[in-house]
Amino acid sequence: MHRIMEFRLDKKRFLTSLALTAVFNTIIALFLTHLGFGSGLGINFIFSQSIGLCMCTFILAGHYFVRRPSIPYHAILLLIAMPAGAVAGAFIGAHIAGIPFSEIIRGRPAFFIQILFIGILFGTIITYFFFSRERIFQTEAQLQQEQIKSLTLEKETLETHLKLLQAQIEPHFLFNTLSTILSLLESEPERGKAMLEDLTRYLRASLSRTRGKMTTLAQELDLVRAYLDIYKVRMGQRLYYTIDVPNTLREAPFPPMLVQPLVENAIRHGLEHKVEGGEILVKVQDHANGFRLIVADTGSGLVEDSVTGFGLANVRERLEALYDGKARLILEDNQPSGLKVTMEIPHE
Amino acid sequence: MNEVKAVIADDEAPLRQSLRARLSEVWPELIICGEAKNGKEALAIVEQHRPHFAFLDIKMPGLTGMEVAERIEGACRVVFVTAYDEYAVDAFEKEAVDYLLKPVTKERLEKTVKRLKQELQTGSTLPAEILHRLMVRLSREEGSGRMQYIRVQHGDGVRLVPVDEVIYFKAEDKYTTVITREGESLIRKSIKELTEELDPEKFWQIHRGTIVNVKSIARVSRSLTGKGVVRLKDRSETLTISNRYMHRFKQM
Repeated sequence: MHRIMEFRLDKKRFLTSLALTAVFNTIIALFLTHLGFGSGLGINFIFSQSIGLCMCTFILAGHYFVRRPSIPYHAILLLIAMPAGAVAGAFIGAHIAGIPFSEIIRGRPAFFIQILFIGILFGTIITYFFFSRERIFQTEAQLQQEQIKSLTLEKETLETHLKLLQAQIEPHFLFNTLSTILSLLESEPERGKAMLEDLTRYLRASLSRTRGKMTTLAQELDLVRAYLDIYKVRMGQRLYYTIDVPNTLREAPFPPMLVQPLVENAIRHGLEHKVEGGEILVKVQDHANGFRLIVADTGSGLVEDSVTGFGLANVRERLEALYDGKARLILEDNQPSGLKVTMEIPHE
Repeated sequence: MNEVKAVIADDEAPLRQSLRARLSEVWPELIICGEAKNGKEALAIVEQHRPHFAFLDIKMPGLTGMEVAERIEGACRVVFVTAYDEYAVDAFEKEAVDYLLKPVTKERLEKTVKRLKQELQTGSTLPAEILHRLMVRLSREEGSGRMQYIRVQHGDGVRLVPVDEVIYFKAEDKYTTVITREGESLIRKSIKELTEELDPEKFWQIHRGTIVNVKSIARVSRSLTGKGVVRLKDRSETLTISNRYMHRFKQM
């Protein structure tokens, strides 16, 4: 929202700057009159206001055209704007006061130079005041931004944590699996026991680990294997899977719960709807500066032009946060059918 | 009394067997005229055997339990079967529709069977409008309905680009250009179609031919002619806001 408000803030700043300058001008006029300078408060007030406001307008105009000025630009701007403002202000002041400008220059050049000198002197002081004021504003704004950022980050971390927990023991998955196990225990107790072991393996892998920032690829793929074994019992002939990882990459560090959502997705959006089921291939291979993890299914794929209700946003966000934008998640149509998701992970 | 028939539909064999076993304990006279492992089979069995009851798993390949119920058009009394599913259960409770929770317990099944036996006399079925309401309710929980990915041509294949990563859409002659951080590609969807499918909170139309991702706006200013101009975070070009859409920025 901040960025959109900038335009209006400028307008506001323009007016407050002018108003503040006018106040300073009045003080300067009073001060000079008190010293006995010039020909009375009225004339001093007119000149002080017109010179001050001209300078201020010139500087602000300079800021309007270049929004993020560099220091040399500032210096040049001030060097031009202040004398120019002083001359222009003197000209306008003379006009308002009813004194012909040419008379001032020709008749009283020393006085004219005095005006310019005083104008530039006070101009510098006031500009300095504005600059420090602006810097304080900006520092405060920056501080606030930082605070907002750190709070948002904290909130996101918490949310991710919650989402991860939910993903690990998704109730629908858990209850479905338990029902299958219960029915198997009646009809085929051996298979029921085997499935209970798979579930235990899956739950242990996802819960007992401290679930820190990193585990290894091998551990993550073990979890995926347990997950797929459970589905294998539930879906029977409708599911085949292959996990292919080179030995050299087995111990590569890998964040927890990044593959499982991809596999879950392949089942839920790919194979589950398909009467004849299909295959899931999980493949890891070396790639440029890291490795590539591919989850491909032969499911129904993404047939519609626009795809909705897809649960990979979470994975994408985590990749972005964990690898600082260096990891990628690519979704493609798999040949001849289904979806192929490729995750590119850089070595750290 | 005539023989009472039922069909059991579930994609998991063990669950079909266990429901069958439970039913035979609780209602020994009930004849299971068929078991279906997907929605289409269930439909075929219902058409062939005209059973009194259909126990339909909600999540099935081919057709879901809901879709089967819709197609049989009240030909038999439907009992939905589902594992833990807050939304479905909530919907069933609200519409007073029969359902069984997996794993199916004997007590629960006894209760349901008692009611089914009573209703056998009245011959009541699931009214179409209730079913319709259920489907609407459940499909709403499936997803926000907003477009999340967009298909673009990439090399030889088709990639799915998350709409979040789109910086802006720009209308061309027949196509629309999608501009992302990684480049530009053409899609067939028109700006009008996109406005209907994209989340209006995240994507703003700012011109007849431009939709911008609010997230990618660096700032908004006015040109010398007073037109609104959008500057982007990752692109050097600027986008013009037509007066028609300027109100969105003034409000802020």
